[in-house]
Amino acid sequence: MAHDHHPKTDVHIEEAVTHDVAPPGRTFVVFFILVGLAFLALFVGFQNDLGPWKVLASLCVAAVQASILAVFFMDLRQADKVTWLIALSGLFFSGLQFLFTLTDYMTRYLGVL
Amino acid sequence: MGQQLATVRMGMWVFLVTEVLFFGGAFCAYTTYRIMYPMDFEAGSAALNVGIAGVNTFLLLTSSLTITLAMRGCFIGSRKTLARCLLLTTLLGSAFLGLKAREYFLDYEEGLIPGVSKLTPAAAEAHAARTAALYAEGEKLQADAKAESDIVARDLYERGADLKSRAALPPVAFNENLKVALSHNKAFTGRPLDEQAYDQGPAGTSTAAGAHDYDPYKVQLFFMFYYSMTGLHVLHMIIGIGLLIWQYVLTARGFFDYTARYIYIETMSLYWHFVDMVWMFILPMLYLTGPHTAGHAIEQFKHAVGLATGGH
Repeated sequence: MAHDHHPKTDVHIEEAVTHDVAPPGRTFVVFFILVGLAFLALFVGFQNDLGPWKVLASLCVAAVQASILAVFFMDLRQADKVTWLIALSGLFFSGLQFLFTLTDYMTRYLGVL
Repeated sequence: MGQQLATVRMGMWVFLVTEVLFFGGAFCAYTTYRIMYPMDFEAGSAALNVGIAGVNTFLLLTSSLTITLAMRGCFIGSRKTLARCLLLTTLLGSAFLGLKAREYFLDYEEGLIPGVSKLTPAAAEAHAARTAALYAEGEKLQADAKAESDIVARDLYERGADLKSRAALPPVAFNENLKVALSHNKAFTGRPLDEQAYDQGPAGTSTAAGAHDYDPYKVQLFFMFYYSMTGLHVLHMIIGIGLLIWQYVLTARGFFDYTARYIYIETMSLYWHFVDMVWMFILPMLYLTGPHTAGHAIEQFKHAVGLATGGH
């Protein structure tokens, strides 16, 4: 196919079969959902009587936002298994980073305090 | 061809994983210290400009939309859509950076730089008034001492001397600037711990510790995190805008008329979305951590862009 006279059309067709680039309609729907969530994030941020729950609620909203961004805008939706594996490995290794750092620091002064 | 494109995408994701770990390190260090000093970090957050951060959130989200539309434009072979959307994305990113620069400048004007040596005029005034009151109180205690019996007199005299020596201490510029900056946020009710020792009577009698009382020295630590994390994010934005401009030039030269090359735009968009994603976590963790109100945020933004006269 690389020797074709009309590479533009053919590559387009092949890609369209194996991979689809979201039409503007769907992109806008995802965008408005993300905007809604951004308002929600700010709304949660302005609730000053939640105490320690505020950070938890904020992080939940951020996690939902990030997931939608990754699945739709970053197109994990159509990604192959290896790409998913790589993306999730990022989460996994950050998780390890947090786990071992926090288990260390949060238990350091137990005997002292 | 399909496999080539899949490989390109995968390669970008591998790079993004290294980026996740890079920012993850900063967030992890932040989390560790936040758990240690929760009130101090909330106080630091209360002094930040949520108005600008809020507007920037929407600018960045919209730029994520436009770069996705740019990719679509390239995919369907519309050079015009591609060029327009790339340009829009560049503009939105630049607007973000412009506001961010304005925010840094306002932080600088408020003297909120860790280790800063200069008091802002307002902070100098507040500090002078407080030390004068402190000195006068010390003088009064020592004057009272004269009318008392020996043991009480010595105690009063020493307390007076203590207050006077406190009043003579040179101010820590950041701490004083911070107090002034925090006084603008009405939702914030915390008091600095370094003042409570003498504002609330002798040690042990202080009962009025509020929910947000803070140690200004630890707030300096928060500000180190604030500058390094937002600074890293800004650095990523600058690189992203450089790439966008490069792709705009390529578009103008017809490089993307060969539509399979939309993969370049897609790879770029992955990076851009990632930068947006980092911001989604920076916003709640740095800006929204402390007490804020929507009204104050709006005022902050108006003030930042010169729509409000006076006030903060």
